[in-house]
Amino acid sequence: MEHIVQFDRVSKSFAGRQAVEDLSFNVRRGEVFALLGPNGAGKTTTVRMLVGVIRPDDGSITATVEGRTTDALPAASVGYLPEDRGLYRDIPVLRTLVYFARLRGLERHEAKRRALEWLERLNLLDRKDERVDALSKGNQQRVQLIAALIHQPALAILDEPFTGLDPLSQEFFLVLVSELREAGTSVILSAHQMDLVERAADRVLLMNSGREILSGSVADLHGRLDSRPLVRLTLEGGTAAGVLRDDPDVIDVVVDGANDNEAHVRLREGAAVPTFLARAVTRVGVLSISTERPRLHDIFVRAVREDDLRRPASIP
Amino acid sequence: MSQVRQAPLVAQWEFRRYFKWKDQVLGLLIFTALGAIGYAASRLATGGRDPVTIATAGIGIETPAGGRVRLMSVPADSGARAQLLNDGEAQGILTRRPDGSFDLLVEKDPRYLPELRALLAGVVLNERLAASGLSGAELQRVLSPPVLEVQFTDPERGRSSTAEKIAAGVFQGLVLLAIFTSMAYMLTGITGEKQLRVTESITVIIPPQAWIDGKMLGIGAYALATVANMVVGGVLLAFVAKLAWGFTLPAVIVRPGVMLVLIVYSILGLLLWNAFFGAFASTIDDPNTSTRTSVMFLPMIPVAMTLTVMRDPDHLSSRVLSVLPITSPSAMPVRVILSGASWPEIVASVALLIATIWFVRLLAGRIFEIGMLMYGKEPTFREMLRWASSKSDRR
Repeated sequence: MEHIVQFDRVSKSFAGRQAVEDLSFNVRRGEVFALLGPNGAGKTTTVRMLVGVIRPDDGSITATVEGRTTDALPAASVGYLPEDRGLYRDIPVLRTLVYFARLRGLERHEAKRRALEWLERLNLLDRKDERVDALSKGNQQRVQLIAALIHQPALAILDEPFTGLDPLSQEFFLVLVSELREAGTSVILSAHQMDLVERAADRVLLMNSGREILSGSVADLHGRLDSRPLVRLTLEGGTAAGVLRDDPDVIDVVVDGANDNEAHVRLREGAAVPTFLARAVTRVGVLSISTERPRLHDIFVRAVREDDLRRPASIP
Repeated sequence: MSQVRQAPLVAQWEFRRYFKWKDQVLGLLIFTALGAIGYAASRLATGGRDPVTIATAGIGIETPAGGRVRLMSVPADSGARAQLLNDGEAQGILTRRPDGSFDLLVEKDPRYLPELRALLAGVVLNERLAASGLSGAELQRVLSPPVLEVQFTDPERGRSSTAEKIAAGVFQGLVLLAIFTSMAYMLTGITGEKQLRVTESITVIIPPQAWIDGKMLGIGAYALATVANMVVGGVLLAFVAKLAWGFTLPAVIVRPGVMLVLIVYSILGLLLWNAFFGAFASTIDDPNTSTRTSVMFLPMIPVAMTLTVMRDPDHLSSRVLSVLPITSPSAMPVRVILSGASWPEIVASVALLIATIWFVRLLAGRIFEIGMLMYGKEPTFREMLRWASSKSDRR
């Protein structure tokens, strides 16, 4: 698949502090690429280099838009919803959007036409003449999103788009992200809501202390980080889950639940789940069985912790 | 989209952000109304004063016609005189010492003192004339100054010089007002953008240089429009005063060349300070809590230095100040009006000023580029200088 942007061994430091180190990745056309990491991981610096606000110390960034390869993404190709977002609060919504669109190079009438189209799409048309500060936070975020996307960029960078939104608005943003993908727009998504990222992203890059610690598709990450099966058993009352620890395929058993009747059983790598279950039902009374896979959140936490342990000096 | 197209868009946005017709009209009406009230009050204060009665004891002075000070001869009894003061029949008791000097006994501050002094000066002059044997006409002939008429090689200058000086003074005041207005909006606008976190969204779209250029132009235009509105208010006030009280507007004749110099230097001076304050504002988060707000008084320095030009416009220091880029916007117009400067001098001064604005604008762009994305600690002046001299980090 064609790449829209490629980072090749990019590094950046500020006043002796390494913000990004030897980072390589690419974003494909029409995919949702999640850039994840704890605070201070280097995501903002990466995004700022991506949009050309700062220049890397080492390595190269190449962008390919409409068949042309350049060393920076053309401003007109990028739509950026920054984490530190804000709009001119005392200016009406429509005027704000037309200004942003015109700065992107659209003529006045086209800017206005697209602004009205987006406002209608996002159910804000009747509020076009109101000042921005008259809108709720969620609606202000919608206006900001329109300002970032009004010029139909080839790449949309959405930094923490779900923060401060109610669940319905979060769902709305998820739908919008998938619509962008369907329209062929590449999306770089940076967020802390792992369950939402897991639903939206095609591929993930996890950063810590300025470096990549994990990358790949969400399915890949599940397999790569922990391929040991995890089984959840709901046991009949009075059943002692501890006996399962004697099973040759079991590594660990964690018991929880209201009546201590939920057993999370971790099996050794390569163990066959049906074989284990056949043995288990002969030893404990089982009400229900389900297999679990680690959530992206767990993968994130575990990968960062392991990385920090490997490099204790780099822990912020 | 090129910077050349983006900067005017920003300028237009900044201008429209602050310029509101409603506010301007309201400001104009308030300014005119306050001016009319002030003018009417001063008319009433000067025209409607009550007469003052001064009791004189043992002094043979007649009350002159037309004045508001009325003299009333009373007996020399000090008790009776004090009673007059107590009763309010007289506002002061005037007595004379044997050496000819006067004493005035009053209950409260005598606001009529200048008129009384003039009256007594006339009395004393007449006494001295009588003693010397000179007539009034002879004395006037002795004291009259020699006649000296100044004739300019350019007759237009002769007719307009006084008016030009007044116009130049007013113009300089208005330009200073425009600079301070502009500075206030640069500071509140830019720090407001930082506080509202608008910066990150904009810096991705346009280069910092285009952004600060647009601000310099847009906010500068707004400041000029506001000052122009005040001028309109002043003219309107003059017409109101003319209709109401017959006030006559002084004829101001300013030579076109002088007017051109005034306008060019005003605009350039405004741009120079806007570039400076744009960079400065980007380095602070909140002007209310910043420890550096004393920087705002910097535009006063060149104006203060211009006072030396007013004393001697042809002195070497005046010539230097009128060419130096920081002081030339104030010094050159004053010099042109009071004495004159050759066109090559003016052209060189303007060229130097434009080059300086260009240079300061580039430095300001660099500081602005870094400052706008910085929050928290204010950079030191040394750090700012380092930023200004560093290469842009943008790709």
